[in-house]
Amino acid sequence: MALPLPPGLTHSEVAFLAEMEMVTVVPRQRLDSIELLSGKTPPLRPPRREQLPLWLALLLKKQRRANIVPPPWLHPTSLQDIIHKETKEDPAAFSPPPPPASSYRADVGRPGMVRRNDNGLDMASPPFRNSCTADALPGYLPYHWLEVAEALLAHAGDDMGAPAGEVRSLLRDLVEVRAAKMRSSTSALEGFGGGLMSLRGVGAMELAETRGFVLGVVDGVRRIGAAAEANRREEEEEGGFRNDREEEESDDDMGI
Amino acid sequence: MSYYDIDAILTDAEKIPCTFQLDVPDLGYLDNNPTHALKTGTKIALPLWLAEMLAIANTGGGDEDGGKSFINFDLPAALSNDVVQALKADPRAVPLRDQSAHFYGLATRMMDLSDERELGDVLRKSFVTRASEIALHARKGAGGSGHHKGDDKGAGSNLGVGASGEEFLRGLDEWERRLFRKAHDGTKAGKEWMEGVKRH
Repeated sequence: MALPLPPGLTHSEVAFLAEMEMVTVVPRQRLDSIELLSGKTPPLRPPRREQLPLWLALLLKKQRRANIVPPPWLHPTSLQDIIHKETKEDPAAFSPPPPPASSYRADVGRPGMVRRNDNGLDMASPPFRNSCTADALPGYLPYHWLEVAEALLAHAGDDMGAPAGEVRSLLRDLVEVRAAKMRSSTSALEGFGGGLMSLRGVGAMELAETRGFVLGVVDGVRRIGAAAEANRREEEEEGGFRNDREEEESDDDMGI
Repeated sequence: MSYYDIDAILTDAEKIPCTFQLDVPDLGYLDNNPTHALKTGTKIALPLWLAEMLAIANTGGGDEDGGKSFINFDLPAALSNDVVQALKADPRAVPLRDQSAHFYGLATRMMDLSDERELGDVLRKSFVTRASEIALHARKGAGGSGHHKGDDKGAGSNLGVGASGEEFLRGLDEWERRLFRKAHDGTKAGKEWMEGVKRH
């Protein structure tokens, strides 16, 4: 009996991982630092903004102990900007992910999570990139954009700078635009040899949704091309073999 | 392709036209002629598994011609020139299932047996083109009470799947059906999650 789950993460797993993203909160009550497995949370003093993991921020929000500051890319103007980019400026590619931060603020909440390479570039991967805090850049969708946006809209709709309905409908548009793009991107596999699909800038939730389909298409193309590929390899090997034999023969000649 | 793959087994049973290269005694019943031997040059449709064996194996006799194979085979009707030309013209308009329920499976097996470079190119192009159409239908089908503003068909509702869409989906072969199911499952799971966000 096969494992009933398809390969890759399911939607709820992706959403669970997205709860590790840091968001900015404005506390309403004092709260001492909590020792979590991932490190200590900063102590909360009311007017001061602090960064907390999304799950904790949502918990505090539900208990009315904090307000969540939405990330700048979730603002309607930023979303419109991204939609414009996706549809008008570059209708073939997905909008690029946020650029790596060159100066990384020391993360008190999660020590040891800052990783740099020799160029001083931030090498951290999505849940540790602070791409959903109030410091994030507008106009770039981070890896967990859909999950974080949906969670914030569902539980902290009143903290949005703009009417939640507007943000929601813009998000829907964006989802549709990108889904259509994902469908048509398979046509890049048409040409022989140059069959590459660029998935740069695609979010985790979109990957979870289209993984089965895209892998199916790639596998189908591979199977259709398998015979031609085998022939090509055989020809190459035969050519190589002949060369080897010729070399051997010439060696023999030298020996004589 | 595993031993228990039902699609591989069914693909094996597809018939392809073969021509016998030698007389075979007592096999006349294959040609509805049980009393006579099977003559050289008789054309018979044999299942792929048998034709493959007979085409690869050779009689071994006759040193001068190196032994010839038992049969020669042609491309089956599903892969005939008409179908390939139609696929070249518009991949979406061809109901592949009418040609063969295991169209791509059959085609890959045939390409394994003989070198059909052009066929491979046409098939890859049509598979990819049809795949994006399949994804579109899968997304629409899963839409339910949907937000279809962004849909490029501008259908506005599930009715867009309507007559031509159903026609197209009926014409999918097994590979494409599997692809449709995957795309549909993904979209459905996404929709379920989207509706469930509130409850967490």
